[in-house]
Amino acid sequence: MRRKAGLVLLALAVFFAALSPLLRWYAFPRLAKIPANQYQDMVLEAKDATLLDYGTMKARKVPEVTIVQTLKGNVEESEKIEKTAGRDVVVWDGLSYVVGPDGKMVSKIPERYIFDAHTQEPVHATGEMVDGDPVKRQGIEFKWPFLTEKRDYEYFDAQARVTAPIHYKGTQNFRGVDVYYFEQTIPWTKVRFPKTMPVEGITPESVAKTGTTRWYTTVRKFWVEPLTGAPVYGEEIHKEELRGGTLLGGREKVTAFAGHVKMREDYIDSTVALVKSNRTLVLLMTSYLPWGFLALALVLLSLSLYLEARGRRPGDPRPTKDAEPEPVNA
Amino acid sequence: MRALIAAATGLAVALVLVFTITALGSPAGETSPKPLLTTVPAHP
Repeated sequence: MRRKAGLVLLALAVFFAALSPLLRWYAFPRLAKIPANQYQDMVLEAKDATLLDYGTMKARKVPEVTIVQTLKGNVEESEKIEKTAGRDVVVWDGLSYVVGPDGKMVSKIPERYIFDAHTQEPVHATGEMVDGDPVKRQGIEFKWPFLTEKRDYEYFDAQARVTAPIHYKGTQNFRGVDVYYFEQTIPWTKVRFPKTMPVEGITPESVAKTGTTRWYTTVRKFWVEPLTGAPVYGEEIHKEELRGGTLLGGREKVTAFAGHVKMREDYIDSTVALVKSNRTLVLLMTSYLPWGFLALALVLLSLSLYLEARGRRPGDPRPTKDAEPEPVNA
Repeated sequence: MRALIAAATGLAVALVLVFTITALGSPAGETSPKPLLTTVPAHP
């Protein structure tokens, strides 16, 4: 009976010892993924911003410009692309909707971002676009990979439609969460006018005829929780100018938008809470369970060896027989 | 010999369990009916 229990304990010890590395290096990379049906919205604000008044074509100070960003997982499209890509794919249909202080639309830019659900590497398929223009992204956008490393990443800028490095600048603590701070600078770059302009009757084509061009620069800052790869906070020092052409009435340039864009306070709180709970799940798979299983395996193995050793020892002391006296040589 | 069989059983069960769980994965679900926002939401 004791030997049977010892064997069962040995089997359990091997079970947990095997489960420990399997969970960390086999199951985690396959199970950790962005759900295809995720829906998330984010509100960012630029207080005391500068905004172009398209009526007078003059820049003016405004108390606030709000950016509403929505990302919606398109399950049907992701399943369609998965068939040819042969891997788990997420399709995010996004919209950046900018609202002025009067509540009116300043700009709206839709985009479709297609990426690997596990690694966040971009996947190229028909439909990938920014503001209706087909693009071929390189690098990441919106989210970092699980188990983010302390290194520079390539990050896609949807305005300029270029990929540039986003530099790791150190580890910080943001509201109780250890985060990696990343920063990217996009120098002044000529960019396209949005397809939807804030004034009726003005189109990108009609502006282009005037010879006026749109330029943009930004300093993008992200505080990323490294286990989940999720940004818990973001800021952008964003500037846009219109340059040259007849539209500016002889002026060389005019500011179209300038502001320090920050996440709205209530969204920071909800993002931090969400990331904290997801972080626990990742820790469970990468640390708590593997180490716990390994410790359990050692305990079970020790118990099994102990039972085995006791099973081999004689239970009761046998009665000692008087030994026959051996012949002694003289 | 019995110890070897017990160890092999433990290993086999662990492998089957992990392969099954990873093969099953998680369901993709459905696309959210919520629209892409064009108004400023009051709260998250």
